[in-house]
Amino acid sequence: MSSRTAEPILHSAAWRISLWATLAFACGTLLVFVFLHQFVADDIQRRSDAWLSGEVEVLGDVAEQTPKNALYDRVVGEVAELASKEVPNRDSSAGASNDSVFFLQTSGDGALMLWVGAGRGLTNLKSIQANRILPGTPMDLRIPGFGVPFRVAATRIYDGSYIYLGLSERDQLRVLGNLRARFILLWLLLVLLGFGIVFFTTHRMLSLVRRITDAASRIGHSDLSARVPTSARRDEIGSLAMTLNHMLDRIENSMHQLHTITDSLAHDLRSPLTAIRGKLEVSLSAGSSVDQVEPIVAVIEELDRLTEFLNKSLDVAESKADALRLSRSRIDLDELLRIMIDLYEPSMSERGLQIRLQSGGPLIIEADEAMIHRMIANLFDNELKHLPAASTINLLLKANSGGASLILEDDGPGFDLEVLPHLFERRVRGRESHGHGLGLAFVDAVARAHGGTARALNRAQGGARIEVTLPLLAHDQTNGVMTPFHSAH
Amino acid sequence: MRLLLVEDEIDIQRFLRTSLEEAGFEVEAAMDGKTAEKLAMDAPFDILIVDLGLPDQDGISLILKLRQLGVRAPVLILSARRSVDDRVRGLEQGGDDYLTKPFALAELLARLRNLLRRNSPPASEATRLSVLDLELDLLRREATRCGQILQLTQQEFVLLEYLCRNAGRVVTRSMILDKVWGMRIQPDTNVVDVHIYRLRGKVDSPGQKPLIRTLRGVGYVLKDR
Repeated sequence: MSSRTAEPILHSAAWRISLWATLAFACGTLLVFVFLHQFVADDIQRRSDAWLSGEVEVLGDVAEQTPKNALYDRVVGEVAELASKEVPNRDSSAGASNDSVFFLQTSGDGALMLWVGAGRGLTNLKSIQANRILPGTPMDLRIPGFGVPFRVAATRIYDGSYIYLGLSERDQLRVLGNLRARFILLWLLLVLLGFGIVFFTTHRMLSLVRRITDAASRIGHSDLSARVPTSARRDEIGSLAMTLNHMLDRIENSMHQLHTITDSLAHDLRSPLTAIRGKLEVSLSAGSSVDQVEPIVAVIEELDRLTEFLNKSLDVAESKADALRLSRSRIDLDELLRIMIDLYEPSMSERGLQIRLQSGGPLIIEADEAMIHRMIANLFDNELKHLPAASTINLLLKANSGGASLILEDDGPGFDLEVLPHLFERRVRGRESHGHGLGLAFVDAVARAHGGTARALNRAQGGARIEVTLPLLAHDQTNGVMTPFHSAH
Repeated sequence: MRLLLVEDEIDIQRFLRTSLEEAGFEVEAAMDGKTAEKLAMDAPFDILIVDLGLPDQDGISLILKLRQLGVRAPVLILSARRSVDDRVRGLEQGGDDYLTKPFALAELLARLRNLLRRNSPPASEATRLSVLDLELDLLRREATRCGQILQLTQQEFVLLEYLCRNAGRVVTRSMILDKVWGMRIQPDTNVVDVHIYRLRGKVDSPGQKPLIRTLRGVGYVLKDR
């Protein structure tokens, strides 16, 4: 569509909305997970603690009831071995060597009596004694040489010795690690999917809004026949488009009525003017004497002035309502100005005025040529009428980002200060001025009708400055407003 | 020259008929489109003047209908409308012309003559124009009076050429602006007059018979007698 859609996506409202929505969603799901994780971790802990407590009780019983003979070590060792094979959450791939469980029995004074597990058990014993593991609830125990801590339960049997059963937390941590990894993956997928869905829907909705904006901005000052695209759905955006179009219908209707009124007014005044002028001309050509000719000619000249006044008044009136009708074509503003200067130069030098043009070469704009002619004629007529002799007029024509800019500067007396703020209004003129006072209002009218601006001010170094800007292209006609969407009409 | 005038305003129709007949046209007038169609079918015309605002139909529809019926004569469109309709521009490109009301009679006659000339087989393009003792060499862009070269600017030459081509006929200020500068404007100031004064200063030197005459309230004429 237009250049507007090519805006960086990062600046679009759809992007922002999706970002915030996704952030909220991500935070929410993350919170749920943290809670879930805590719950699962606690549960696993509780189960392994229950197992440890149970097993250490059993081992205590066995140790109590087994006679302290040569077989004691084998019997208790066997039972401990068996118990280690029932470890909960055990990783079956860990292989035969079992280092996730150890069994330790110490005598009352702390000497190692029996050890079942990987290695010699001395480091385990040292850690146990350093951490003062007591019978009762299982505790965490870090043992040098092992990456993960052990959970250790202890019991005291009647002969004063202690039995310790340790369970590595490795398996427990692995289960939780798996859970986390899967969840993070799932969470990322969900967040991305959520972002995608939110972005897609908001982007689609907002692109409708953007199309409406695009179309509405293209419905320019002079073209009211276009409509914004409407969607088949009856949602908020659909009704926004419908409302806009209804509004445009009403505006177009009143504009049409305004045109009808000004047209019939023009017609009703011009027909009698034509008849009067014609009759006067007929009487003029009938070979009348000089005495009779003089007043007739004066009346004809007055009539022509009246006609021009009528035209300008209606144009200004229409343009105040943004309803001036244009018939655009591509024109070279530079060439047009040179021709107009050529036309006005003799009159100016006759009055001792100098006119200079500063231009960067051809400058093509899309505009109503006749209107631009009349606008510049108004500017020049204005200078001719108001500048004292020996003044200089500087014209500067350049293209800038806003379009074509035409700056007219003179070194005359400038505008009356009381008139300056109302310069572009109808029927405003300085005390010394003659004419209808429509000249600059018309300049403003033409500039506005083309989507441009006119500004007037007094220069600091004396003299007046009028700046007229005109857009290079009439975008309300170059691009089709009714783009592929369902159109209302 | 047979001319069909289609105009519903009785006042305008009356004075147009008078001055057109005075200018040598044989004028038939119609108040509305129906009558105009009938008249055009009865006998052929050399040229037509059609007002856009007719009581029974739009002037342009009438012109298009007449064209369909085989009327080939050129049309001068009169319009009291403010903006020039795009359809009028279309017709203008098709060889017809338009004039907005109110207009100067001289301009109406000049445009009629132009249309008739355009419609007649083109005379071989002259390379020289001469009016009395004034001569224009169109190839070398040189003007002489009584054999003496006139120092004219490019623009002055174009203006003089236009006056010469219409020698003996009145040209109005708006015609000069239209044909020489290519713009339809009505300046508040006497820009055209100043050009004419300057040209006159060069063409009509003291002691010579003045060629460029001003007709106040109407325009200018280059005398050919």
